[in-house]
Amino acid sequence: MLIEFIFIALSLITLISALGMISFHQPINSVLSFIVTLLSIAGLFALLSSSFIFIVQVIIYAGAIMSLILFVIMFLNIKEKNIPNEPKKALWISGSLIAISPFTLLLVNALKTLPQKEATIINGFGSIEAIGRELFSKWVLPFEMISILLLIALLGAIVLAKKEQNR
Amino acid sequence: MIFVTDYMILAVLLFSIGIVGVVSRRNIIVLYMSIELMLNAINLIFVALSRQFEQLDTQIAALMVIAIAAAEAAIFLAVIVLLFRNRRSLDANVFTLLGQREQPKNDK
Repeated sequence: MLIEFIFIALSLITLISALGMISFHQPINSVLSFIVTLLSIAGLFALLSSSFIFIVQVIIYAGAIMSLILFVIMFLNIKEKNIPNEPKKALWISGSLIAISPFTLLLVNALKTLPQKEATIINGFGSIEAIGRELFSKWVLPFEMISILLLIALLGAIVLAKKEQNR
Repeated sequence: MIFVTDYMILAVLLFSIGIVGVVSRRNIIVLYMSIELMLNAINLIFVALSRQFEQLDTQIAALMVIAIAAAEAAIFLAVIVLLFRNRRSLDANVFTLLGQREQPKNDK
């Protein structure tokens, strides 16, 4: 009973804040609304008994990446004239929601044919120890390649955002 | 009673909201966050599949998606800083240097 209540509350919060994220005018409001979305998705991960992904989502996504975006927005010093003027925003959003709905209905009906399994919480299923054993035995090569990818992204970000002297 | 497929249905709805955000908005920061929302929906599907079949492989895939999203965030924010420094705007319709025959005047 408690799991049902938490799931329904979290999914409502997720959907409402995601809709708010795509409809706010100011970017800072969108970012704050998106942080609420990420935190409630983290709660859904915890309900699916994957505690490590929950921790990673809270620390890396909602903590690091979104605070980086907040930092960039405050760093850019955005005025009202820099934000694009979108007079028909509500029309565009509702129109594309209607246009996307057949695709969504198709996917929902396809998902309903999967075998139904009740989502109870298993103790110690997605714990740090289990994930670490899997990650460092079977998935070592992708793990190392991810580290190289992060290094390249770091260098690329520095090269892109560097001030050019001779202009 | 909550089934695992309910989580996947919620993920599909989130993915649709992300597509709507990419299609209908012009603010590049909102575009970026819509892409992140789609990545998160895929992550939710991965974790729900991991719960459905009680295998840990898809949770590792979700971790990989989070790492790639971090790399993407670094590159995308650097590009946003660069574009804003050159054009003084967040409008995605302004950045058409590669896309149009008639180039807009560079107001530097």
